[in-house]
Amino acid sequence: MLIQDNLLLTRSNPSGQGGTQFLYRVKDYGLAALTGPQEEISMIHWEVEVIKFTTPETAGFEVCHSTELADKTLKFYTDKSLNEFLQKAFQYFEELDLLEKMLPQES
Amino acid sequence: MANVKGSSVCRTAVDEGKPADWVPGGEKQTVVDPMEMFHKLPREKLFITGSEAARESMRRANIDIAIAYPITPQSESMQQAGYLYDEGYIKEYYRGEEEIGTFSAISGASRAGVRALTATSGPGLMRGMEAISSWPGARTPIIMLNMCRVINTPLAIQPDNIEMSFLLNTGILLLHAENQQDFYDYPLAAIMASEQVDVTLPAVVSVDGFFCTHARGPVEVTPEEFKLPPRDGWRSAVPAMDNENPPARISRDAPIQKSNFISYHMHASWQQEVFAAVERSAKYFDKYLGGLIEVVNPDAEDFIIASGCAVSQAREAVRQEGEQGRTVGLVKVKSIRPFPTEQIFEAVKGAKRILVPEFNQAGWLHKELCAVLYGRCKAVIKDGPRVFGGMTMPTEMIMEWLAEFRKEVK
Repeated sequence: MLIQDNLLLTRSNPSGQGGTQFLYRVKDYGLAALTGPQEEISMIHWEVEVIKFTTPETAGFEVCHSTELADKTLKFYTDKSLNEFLQKAFQYFEELDLLEKMLPQES
Repeated sequence: MANVKGSSVCRTAVDEGKPADWVPGGEKQTVVDPMEMFHKLPREKLFITGSEAARESMRRANIDIAIAYPITPQSESMQQAGYLYDEGYIKEYYRGEEEIGTFSAISGASRAGVRALTATSGPGLMRGMEAISSWPGARTPIIMLNMCRVINTPLAIQPDNIEMSFLLNTGILLLHAENQQDFYDYPLAAIMASEQVDVTLPAVVSVDGFFCTHARGPVEVTPEEFKLPPRDGWRSAVPAMDNENPPARISRDAPIQKSNFISYHMHASWQQEVFAAVERSAKYFDKYLGGLIEVVNPDAEDFIIASGCAVSQAREAVRQEGEQGRTVGLVKVKSIRPFPTEQIFEAVKGAKRILVPEFNQAGWLHKELCAVLYGRCKAVIKDGPRVFGGMTMPTEMIMEWLAEFRKEVK
């Protein structure tokens, strides 16, 4: 089972292909972890995207391949390995938020 | 039975490679009141596939015999049942020759007074329909897990629940699971409802194959040391049959087989009683499942009514509509037979628009709703979106249909 820290939403796969999606949020960034149907139980895995939320109030987001964390969709084959990644990613998002606030804001 | 301690039949646990002091898992479990199991026992949260959820349900169901013939996507659940047999939670289990043989054999087992489970998918259900349609009249409280898939050409192994429409008028109790959690809970509830003396009917728990059976989801399960009470074969609308001394005359010279007024009356009264028993089961499902329907946003003008996986997609559409400031109601239909006519009517009597998304070509739920709400409900009932043959139903599709519906019906 995935960790519940920073969990914003658990929902069925919104693309309608079956499976469950977990949305995690730390400030404006987060992770979308999706596990979908596979022919064999042993083939079941997680597909994870780094995401950037589009509004503070809703769960709307865009896939973000421009962070140092990932420039592509990531795959994890166990809950344990994904949980370890989640913990590190949460720290990274906290630091990223601080760094972005230090940059001059466009008027 | 191999998994019964002290059994007098030929096969023993030792024959199956178990140590002499092996105790079947089922014999280590404690029987618990069904209401205690469904509503009071603590639950542990797992993240498992629908097939694994079915396994955990079977583990707690005190099943005497399981017979099945493999077919995708049912095979994995019955593979899991094999593990349960090995662990001693199912007393007897074998693979039938094919579906007609399987569903005839399971009927014989149920007539003998034991708790009998089978499972199938799409074409397997179609092949076995001759036997299946005889179950309700025979008053056999069989539990069947039905992992829905495409049955029509071009054939596919993808999700599609048109096969459920073939069960609607058989006299079978029919539940439709939304997700892995339901596929754990519903079989247990269905077993207890189907075995009530004023019901005594077979029950089918359908689930949309692959989307649920082959994907993981959160499932809260009760401790595995507790199981349902056993079936009391004598406590039925018709007595259990002594299979060693079968009443041969019934099949050889039944008045029902003569074409005369007595046979017509017998058939009519027998079938009336079957369908009356379907309605009587509602009170049990109501208390076991906490209602035959679930309602979200009861004061809404726009409603989605759905069953199975379409509920999950509709649930997310309702959430996203809410984010955009629009309130949309949702009625999840848990029980298809008995059909919760009055509960649905009460839930949507203030509605203006009702959308019915489905994973099948026939639109059987839309037809059911139109039939029972006609003349009673002022809402316009729109069939769609309908996807089938394994097609997906993205949340956006439901939201687009809602937007169009609002333009059509002001």
